[in-house]
Amino acid sequence: MPVRFLRNASELADVSWETPLPVQVANAKPVPADTLLVATTIVDATANRDLLQSTSTELPTLDGCGQYRKLVWFYFRAGADATNYRVLARATDHNGAPLGAGWQELVADTLPGGANTWGRIEIPSAGDGYYDQYRIEVRRTAGSNYFLTSKIVGVR
Amino acid sequence: MTPKVCLIVREFGTFNRAWTQILRNLGIDYTLCTTTGGLTSSNIQTPQGAFSPSSPDLRGYFRQFDAVILCENTNNLTATSFINYSVFWMSWNAPEDPAFLFFNPHFSAAITESAYNSNFPSDFPIVRPDPSDLAGTLYAADGGSAGVVSPLSVGTLGARGACVLFLAENIRAHVMTICNAHTNNIPYYWRLDTAKHSTLASTLYTHRVARNGRAGEILAVPAPPSSSEDTETYPSDCIIAYRYRNIFWLPHAIQRRQDVADDRNPYLFWLLYGLQLAGVRPRYKLPVQLETDRPLQAIDTGAPFNHSLATQMRILAAGFDYMRDFARRTGTAIINGVRVGGRTRRTADFTYHWVLMYSTSVPAEARAVAQQVNQLLVTGHREGTLPCGVHDHSIGASPGGYWTAVVHTSHRRHSGMRYGAPNDVPIDRGRCCVAPHVLPAGVAGADAQTVQVGDTELVEWDIPTSGAGDTFDLPMGNIHAARIIIESEIEEMLALGFSDGYCAGHRYTNTAANNSGGECYWQALKEFGFRGVRSASACNTNLNTKRVAPNRYWNGFHLVKEMPLDIYAAVFAGFSWGLYHPSAPSGGDAVRYLELDHSSDISSGWTTNPALVWRAYRRVLCMTTGRWLATTAVTLGGAFFHPISCLGVAAPNRVVDRFDGWNILNAANQPHYNHAVELLENMDATVRLLPEYLYWGTITDVMDHRERVMGG
Repeated sequence: MPVRFLRNASELADVSWETPLPVQVANAKPVPADTLLVATTIVDATANRDLLQSTSTELPTLDGCGQYRKLVWFYFRAGADATNYRVLARATDHNGAPLGAGWQELVADTLPGGANTWGRIEIPSAGDGYYDQYRIEVRRTAGSNYFLTSKIVGVR
Repeated sequence: MTPKVCLIVREFGTFNRAWTQILRNLGIDYTLCTTTGGLTSSNIQTPQGAFSPSSPDLRGYFRQFDAVILCENTNNLTATSFINYSVFWMSWNAPEDPAFLFFNPHFSAAITESAYNSNFPSDFPIVRPDPSDLAGTLYAADGGSAGVVSPLSVGTLGARGACVLFLAENIRAHVMTICNAHTNNIPYYWRLDTAKHSTLASTLYTHRVARNGRAGEILAVPAPPSSSEDTETYPSDCIIAYRYRNIFWLPHAIQRRQDVADDRNPYLFWLLYGLQLAGVRPRYKLPVQLETDRPLQAIDTGAPFNHSLATQMRILAAGFDYMRDFARRTGTAIINGVRVGGRTRRTADFTYHWVLMYSTSVPAEARAVAQQVNQLLVTGHREGTLPCGVHDHSIGASPGGYWTAVVHTSHRRHSGMRYGAPNDVPIDRGRCCVAPHVLPAGVAGADAQTVQVGDTELVEWDIPTSGAGDTFDLPMGNIHAARIIIESEIEEMLALGFSDGYCAGHRYTNTAANNSGGECYWQALKEFGFRGVRSASACNTNLNTKRVAPNRYWNGFHLVKEMPLDIYAAVFAGFSWGLYHPSAPSGGDAVRYLELDHSSDISSGWTTNPALVWRAYRRVLCMTTGRWLATTAVTLGGAFFHPISCLGVAAPNRVVDRFDGWNILNAANQPHYNHAVELLENMDATVRLLPEYLYWGTITDVMDHRERVMGG
């Protein structure tokens, strides 16, 4: 027996995927974080390679991030091979155009962790971000290529 | 009932997320279970606890699912353990038990574990592969040549070919197929023990997945050749897919690798087919649709085809007549990105739609046929079979598309409408305040106007304007430029006879070079009525300052992922030289571009062995259809090809004939091949094979479905 509900003042509708029962959300807080990126990167010795495998240095890894106070980069690295990473950031105008060429470097360091280990890096490490674009680069400095799987969450 | 399946994976470190993405897109619920190893003693870790693989508890647990899917596979037949724990499930054949889907399973004779071998069903009718006797236990497939890498790892290049005959459906289709692989990088099909099969096929068996009520059923075999030229045949005991009671023994579906869900999964037909065989009814079917870029365009009139412009136009006319008919009979809508810009900017370039129709430099006969093609497109646009939208390579820097340069020098705009000459309109952002509530009174000038880009509302003033002229340097990174450019494109579409520039009710187009620009262009496109466009992730190459959001959804605007189905590499050649051509430039034919010449087994005998053209044909269709299917099922994207660049390969007097090897030659005395016909007919066979999972839909269906499954 189908379940029906009053969809509007004059229409009685069957409950279906297309017309679900109306609900009111109560006692809920908006989630202050969004998943911004899930990517698997082959970490090699190429300079300026970002998490999306691009070596085009002006290309952001993440765009439209102005609403986020902080990014949290979770990763799982399959290899222990020595790796450097760099986080770059910049602001854009209201049309989405960068204010200028190049980037502000937020951090350049060694990627922590060994083979089959997890990592978590806050961007920026102190204070708030609110940058519009980020570029995150990884580069292996020794050993062999390996897979790096990343998830980046934006926190408002 | 909610469809629900159980996925068995060894570990998440080698788990390809395409498995779960496809299930989410289909609305099939799933549970992930891991194993503690590959032996029969390994436990299965479920959300309800760890169970022994042979235990009644696990069997009871499995019975809540429509199907249990084993995700593990290997290319090493010498492995002594891999999925040994699954051997017990092959005997769980009661009507209450679920269907089990084994894809490219490891059941090698090299497995020495006694618990595996003693529990392996004695009546199982597929010969277990023996790495020390490959030729005696398997059939080398697709010419038996070795690839450079494991055939299981094929993504968007390097397909192995297979034409498969599906026996119950009586349908032939080209689908990426490998039953087992080994470290020699050769693909294999299975060998049937005909005596055991005969017994099973005559044994009554009751289970909801046993369509014929028998314990054994051959599901698919290599299709017999359709031409005497094609000598690549297989013995009668060679099989590709088999149902053993409620156990489906199926080819490779998804590579085992640590990866996010993307469209580098061309084998996934077998997952969809397996799910359908198992009776898993998805909540949603997936819409299949195709796009073309530049429906009216010309290629070089020189070698190897020496097609005159008139001949090229006739090929296009026949091709689009076929595509219109195809769309009409299947209910799909083939989207076409019309190469605009020839009316006001590239007025002498034969590759532009307008120029081919109206330039007096184009021979009159060619112009006349070009206008017929345009009429066909206009009619198709109106009736919904061939919707057309703007596609502009004439702006910015190479390769064109939106926002490919900081400034478009000497930009020439259209006339009339709101942003055309002689109207004096804004061309760049002025001074602005992005928070009007803090703007002091009297600061904004008399020309102040409110501009909205996404969530930002701002006030601009002192805005640079165009003057009355039609040519000026246009800064591209602002909404004013976007409005001028998009209106000029729509103006040209209207002048060509189309009712709009966004594929009629679909409100979509495929952007040139997949460059959708950035926020200011997306906002302007929304203002002009667009609901979405096709876009690359890096959406303003080669300026390279922008990326789309990973979910490809911006303020209600869709940025649909691209997937090329061309048979040539545009970076090396302007058009395809065919399936293969000995003199083609690098990437200039399908085999070279798609990297299908495994161990030179096509190029080495092209002119002496007629069978090789059939091999090339199989691989090309498998690769392109595999790409298209992955786009349909994983990324919910837009697959496309460039018509004349791919159709110049067709014989001018038999344009829409099906491929027939060396029996039909094109203008270069090479085998005729019509990519549009072959691709659409092969995908149609795939859709007919998967009526529970696929349907011919439209880009509107794709965008609707994206909104349905993307979640909040």
